[in-house]
Amino acid sequence: MFSRWNWVACGFCLVLNICSPDASGGLVQSCGHIIPESPVLALGSNFTALCILNESCPDFGNIYASQIIWKIKNRVVPKEQYREINRTVSSVTFNDTSLLATPLTCNILEDGQIEQNIYGITVTVGLAPEKPKNLSCIVHQMSRFTYVMTCTWDPGRHTFLDTQFRLRYRWPEEIFPDCIPKDVNNSCTVTDIQFFVNTEIWVEATNVLGKAESDPLVVDPINIVKPLSPQNVSVSSGLLPTILKLSWENWISNAVMTLKFNIRYRIVDDTDWMEVPSEDTASPRTSFSVQGLRPYTEYVFSIRCMKEDGVGYWSDWSEEKTGITTEDLPSKGPPIWRIIDKSHSPACWTVHLIWKALKPFEANGVILQYEVTVRDKSSLSSPVKKYNVTSTNYTLQLQEGTYEVTLIARNSVGVSPPSVLLIPASNSKAPVKNLRTLPKHDKLWVGWTAPNSYVLRYVIEWCLVSSSSDCIIEWQIAPGDVQGVELKGIKPFKCYLITVYPLYADGQGTGQSVKAYLKQDRPSKGPTVQTKKVGKAEAVLTWNHLTVEEQNGFIRNYTILYKTIDGNETVVTVDPSKTEYTLSSLASDTLYTVRMMASTDNGSRTGPDFTFTTQKFGKGEIEAIVVPVCLAFLLIVLLGVLFCFNKRDLIKKHIWPIVPDPSKSNIAQWSPQVPAKHNFNSKDQMYPEGSFTDVSVVEIEAEDKKSFSEQDLKPFDLLKKEKSTSEGHSSGIGGSSCMSSPRQSVSDSDEGETTQNTSSTVQYSTVVLNGYRDQTPVQVFSRSESTQPLLDSEERPEDHAGGADSPAQRQQYFRQNGGQDEINTDRPCFERTKQITHANEGDLVGFVQLQISGQSSQPLGLGMEKNTQEAALSNVLQTYTEGQTVRPETVEENPLSVDEMPKSYLPQTVRQGGYMPQ
Amino acid sequence: MAAADSPSAALRRRDLCSRGIRLAGKMRADVVDLLDAYVEQQGLDASASVAVEGVPLAAVERWDEQTGTQRLLENLAAYRAFRALLAQMLEEQREQLGEADAGLGRALAAVLLQVSAFAYHLEELLRLESRGVPGEEEDGPPPPPRLGLFEQKLRGLGVLRELAQWAVRSVRDLRQLAKPSPATGAAPALAESP
Repeated sequence: MFSRWNWVACGFCLVLNICSPDASGGLVQSCGHIIPESPVLALGSNFTALCILNESCPDFGNIYASQIIWKIKNRVVPKEQYREINRTVSSVTFNDTSLLATPLTCNILEDGQIEQNIYGITVTVGLAPEKPKNLSCIVHQMSRFTYVMTCTWDPGRHTFLDTQFRLRYRWPEEIFPDCIPKDVNNSCTVTDIQFFVNTEIWVEATNVLGKAESDPLVVDPINIVKPLSPQNVSVSSGLLPTILKLSWENWISNAVMTLKFNIRYRIVDDTDWMEVPSEDTASPRTSFSVQGLRPYTEYVFSIRCMKEDGVGYWSDWSEEKTGITTEDLPSKGPPIWRIIDKSHSPACWTVHLIWKALKPFEANGVILQYEVTVRDKSSLSSPVKKYNVTSTNYTLQLQEGTYEVTLIARNSVGVSPPSVLLIPASNSKAPVKNLRTLPKHDKLWVGWTAPNSYVLRYVIEWCLVSSSSDCIIEWQIAPGDVQGVELKGIKPFKCYLITVYPLYADGQGTGQSVKAYLKQDRPSKGPTVQTKKVGKAEAVLTWNHLTVEEQNGFIRNYTILYKTIDGNETVVTVDPSKTEYTLSSLASDTLYTVRMMASTDNGSRTGPDFTFTTQKFGKGEIEAIVVPVCLAFLLIVLLGVLFCFNKRDLIKKHIWPIVPDPSKSNIAQWSPQVPAKHNFNSKDQMYPEGSFTDVSVVEIEAEDKKSFSEQDLKPFDLLKKEKSTSEGHSSGIGGSSCMSSPRQSVSDSDEGETTQNTSSTVQYSTVVLNGYRDQTPVQVFSRSESTQPLLDSEERPEDHAGGADSPAQRQQYFRQNGGQDEINTDRPCFERTKQITHANEGDLVGFVQLQISGQSSQPLGLGMEKNTQEAALSNVLQTYTEGQTVRPETVEENPLSVDEMPKSYLPQTVRQGGYMPQ
Repeated sequence: MAAADSPSAALRRRDLCSRGIRLAGKMRADVVDLLDAYVEQQGLDASASVAVEGVPLAAVERWDEQTGTQRLLENLAAYRAFRALLAQMLEEQREQLGEADAGLGRALAAVLLQVSAFAYHLEELLRLESRGVPGEEEDGPPPPPRLGLFEQKLRGLGVLRELAQWAVRSVRDLRQLAKPSPATGAAPALAESP
């Protein structure tokens, strides 16, 4: 039976051996191994490993320890660290495990050079755990009956190894389960905490390299409790306006521990907390009345607790609860001030009473109304006026005088103490002295020196100075014993006008003002400069002051910077009060660029560039050149005139040829064809177009041509007589240079028919003004106005002008008509009898030719009044009309009517020195 | 006696008494709360009168005539008995309800811990009086007999009620022990303490 089981067993083993041929040596035949296998080493310690070879290695044959090479992560370990223990065992030693790396392999050199790995191990290097330190525990109350204890500690250095921490605690005779932290290594929370028993608590740290325990902490958990904060806190107002009562519930029963409390509170808009003295709340309680509060003020309360004996931890602060105290009387009267408007009438004031609403802690409730009482102190009989106002201002119309204004504020509980403001008739008291300002952080401090008299209080007014809007006054009152206040709400970079008034018991001092900035900046823009006047070497610059909004500070100075295009910039500093400056020493005819910079204490700002060019010549230079030149010219002209005057005979000889004297002529010398030639005095021939633009010819027709010749002798006789008495009154062909010859000129008609047949009409002369230059000396006679009477035999019918009643009437006049006449009347004229050379012949615009028969005419001066001339003409015309036929033959291109003509025909006297006929 | 004479021993005793009093007070509060939960959870009548055998009674005649040591010994014997009873109750509770009512089990375990802690306080006080602490085996009550389910509930109610009574008495006993006046303490050892 036994042998049969043996055979079965052997057969089973055989099957196993067949199925597992390498059951004894494994599937891979190892040629050696390393001791120790995968060690964990302390960092910094020494380490020795052994490589043990199998003597018969199927793969490599016989191998020996001398062939072994140790490697650390493919790096060969120096041979010095090897030691051949025997033929098959080699060791390697590392003095410092920090130099180790993994894996550590044992290798052999086969066939001299081929390296084959025999075995390898993984080396783990780390540290033993340090002793945990700073163990502390706190018991948190989670609910009314639930407490947990959380302990924390310092785990020490990192071990590089898996290290387990556990919190252990025990009673002397009872050990509790360990607390193993999750995910952390420095804290753990215990849930089954029992109070009033000293508990020993410690921490144990363990890894493969060792174990360490912290110092034990022995504590009664009741002494490390952080309780829950009181709950259901409520606030209720009491009977007094300064008390609020707090009530709450505690989470912890007195059986566990008794509590003390902290109560803090603050006004709802404040951030600073106040605390009830801790000794007042050091005993267990569930309510407390907080006293000393402000009336009608909303407070926020919060409370916390801890173990009564102070051992343990304070709870968190409870949720905040608010409560409002009840109202009380206003504690003070509102500060009051006034603004008096006397602009309408100095005797009738518009008084704006303004006051500040009481602060909440002063109002002690809701102010329902203000009661204003005004009493005229200058008139005791005047009734006291009362006004109820709900706003904080009131406007009164008052006569000039002294008034006492009383203001009280009323709330639901009662009225405030009165505020009294005295409005004197004049602010004649002493003002404050040495008013000054100083920025202090975000406030502007205003200081002054008090007057010598006792001051009740000061009123400080201030307003933002603006160029675009009125100054809106803000104000505040300071007690009389201070000499400075801080103004709030002052904006930086803005100009403020600050005025301080001292208020006395019997009056008011005059206000002292100062301008101030809380903070200055550089101007927001620079001045815009331009030139007012530019000269050769100077330029007057003008600019406007910056507006107060643009200044951002006190303008300390202006700086003018100017330069030429390629020149250096010149800088000039100008007083800030000026708006004009003259740049001097500039180069002439040069382009300058100028800009202007305004500076405050905190910087400067430059305005836009402006360019101008200086002038080439200075003032008076042109005059200095032109005037001498003109003077020189005039001098030359004058010299020329003088020269000409001195040489006038010579010049006359060349310019005015000597006209033959008819007195020396004889009739035989008169050419018979003269009359025929004389016909040229028909209008077309005598005054060809282009020579005259306006010619008037007055033709006086004689009634009987036949009687003409017969009656002519008489006038000629008379003429002889006249010649003897008035030589200057001869008719001339040229007239005066101003065409206002006193001689009458008589011309024939257009038809060339001079039919002056009256006995008094004699053709005395014929005037051809423009033709004389072309005349031959022979023709001169026709224009000669000889005073010699013509012989009868010499006289031709055509030459007979109308007979004149007197020699004077025989005179003929001609003169230029039109406006020229008026001008020339004021000028000295040269009278000529034989030939007229008009200096400006081309300027003639009109010509009047007149034939006068039997008309007496007195020569008149050239300066005769116009009306005189008109009257004379009128007489002439009237005479013509009555005694003769006077017909205006042609009036061409001359708009003057006959009535306007007389000036042209007025007889003119020969002035003294005038040109006398020769 | 020598130990009691030293200042540190006196402080230690005062500390033990103080914390013992507060522990007893908390234990009473917890037991009262536990009683309510227990009655409700077990479906019992809170007003039911229960007399359970094996539960030490707190009431004693001539309490004020007891010595300090005597008070400590009686307290220690009672709380050791309660410790055993509560441990049994906790085991029975787990058997009955499993983890269904973990809160009641935790409360029982907490009271059990407090009973153990109080017993430890008493032992420490006895050691301070240089009195040997009696062994539990010789003074401990016999293991309670196995009872039916309802009887277990009633016995549990009785244990908790009596424990609450003992907590009150223990507070009074420890306060008596903590009094410095020798006249109030019949026990010489305690009378000598400061």
